[in-house]
Amino acid sequence: MSGKIAIIGAGPSGCYLAQALLKRAPALNVHVVDALPVPYGLIRYGVAADHQSTKNVTRQFARIFERQGARFFGNVHVGCDVTLDDLLEAYDAVVIATGLSTDRRLGIPGDDRPGLYGSGVLTRALNDHPHAPPLPALGQYPLIVGHGNVAIDLLRLLCKTSHELDGSDMGSKSSAWLAKNDIKSITVVGRSPATLAKFDSAMIREIGKLDNVSITVRDTLFSQRPDDNKRLHALAAINGQGNGTIKVTFRFSCVPLSVIGDESVLGLQVRGPEGEEHISASTILTAIGFEGALDREHLLKRANENKERLYCVGWFHRGPKGTIADSRTEAQTTAERILNELSPDPERVGSTLFYGSSKAIVDYAAWQRIDAAEIAQSAPNRCRQKFTSTSEFLRAAQLQGGQT
Amino acid sequence: MKISILYGTETGNAEMLAEDIQSALSDNHQTTCTNLADTRTLDPGDFHVIVCSTYGDGELPMSAQPFAEFLEKEAPDLSNIRFAIFGLGDEEYAETFTHGSLKLAQILTAQGAIQVGERMTHNASGDDLPEDLALPWVAEIINSVQLKDSCPHDRTVKNASA
Repeated sequence: MSGKIAIIGAGPSGCYLAQALLKRAPALNVHVVDALPVPYGLIRYGVAADHQSTKNVTRQFARIFERQGARFFGNVHVGCDVTLDDLLEAYDAVVIATGLSTDRRLGIPGDDRPGLYGSGVLTRALNDHPHAPPLPALGQYPLIVGHGNVAIDLLRLLCKTSHELDGSDMGSKSSAWLAKNDIKSITVVGRSPATLAKFDSAMIREIGKLDNVSITVRDTLFSQRPDDNKRLHALAAINGQGNGTIKVTFRFSCVPLSVIGDESVLGLQVRGPEGEEHISASTILTAIGFEGALDREHLLKRANENKERLYCVGWFHRGPKGTIADSRTEAQTTAERILNELSPDPERVGSTLFYGSSKAIVDYAAWQRIDAAEIAQSAPNRCRQKFTSTSEFLRAAQLQGGQT
Repeated sequence: MKISILYGTETGNAEMLAEDIQSALSDNHQTTCTNLADTRTLDPGDFHVIVCSTYGDGELPMSAQPFAEFLEKEAPDLSNIRFAIFGLGDEEYAETFTHGSLKLAQILTAQGAIQVGERMTHNASGDDLPEDLALPWVAEIINSVQLKDSCPHDRTVKNASA
């Protein structure tokens, strides 16, 4: 089957969809558009720098462009450079795969104080995202709110010694920031009981292996459910482990009530298993999920009505739940649906649309030059040093005349 | 030789390797490449090459789970089935490293299937690419199977189509 499909977002949900479409219909024109000059979205900017085996999935995504014939259009911001309506006119189907990147707020009094940071912002900053603000000072006793894998990623990275980051792609700025942190303790709190916490037990065991931590697990309750027990086992196994200088405390069943402190954060008031209490904190890092930008609801509705050949996949579609692998499963069913509904119109102009402006477009070959340059400039004990601004990307891509 | 390549995958990496193995073998052999999710019965006329990852806490990947459950529940006689298995994993999680492929091999041999060669594994936190380990490994196994099948006095498993 022929036809032109535009996918907005070159992260895992967009790439898995391109893969699934081209596996079923190799003659399709699949064009993956990203606002950044570089592909892979969450894999590059969300997955922790020391989880390279998870980032390895980009080897599959590279093949979509190298062998399956998908094309990459980086540095094209839908909504600025082209509109969604332009895309719908130029393509037989358009898929929104932009994920969710806005940190969900605590929704309690004081959650707008200076000294509160969302895990999405911090994770992107640690991963050298070009639009992330500089990493903030965390003080000696940051508190992490949330019991998911994102919370555990943050905890692990904050506790790692520089030697434990060997082989990662933690950039030079982030590495220096981590090294100069002077953290004495990190408390991880969440409203769920330990049995219902969202993190994987393998992630918990990883914390137990860190060199510089001493771990306490509080407020755990035993459960009869075998699934829960696995998580409890992992927590019980790390309780009391380590004699490092960073004191890590896991707290469960603690409902955040308000942020303490006027000028800046002093702590978090919670309702714990033994009543209300004040947990001191120099900063509060929230890892309680993500939400979409304002127009997401409207776009979901438009896609749902399905009169315009518009589709949504990944977290943008499903909300902030599920793993990278779940996006692969979803991509397969969505690809079937798109192909069933596709009616190609040769009049549609496709990628010609993108070449109207003077803005530099990063194609896959240009990305390969960026990729090679990033690997070539890696620091010792690192596998990559990312460029951190659009102008650096365009220079490495050897594209002239690009606006930044 | 008829070779059935099967894969159990979660994020698609095992599928990619299975496809690489198929490409490498398809010039000289009749090959198929199938997701274990779509597999229930195995053909004694095929030699089976299985690629299986590991997920979560040393569990089988999503796409291999229904097949494993089927074997455990139905307990089919697999004594005329031969297979070799390659495991993907991450040695950062040392306790459960490549346990997915280990479990699957155990389930198959428990039903009488004959494992050919050593289970080979790839560590995603290491320096090698999975195909650089898997392709020489599978070539050697296929050679040894062919050698064995071509010698009439040394056939432990024989079938009409071999």
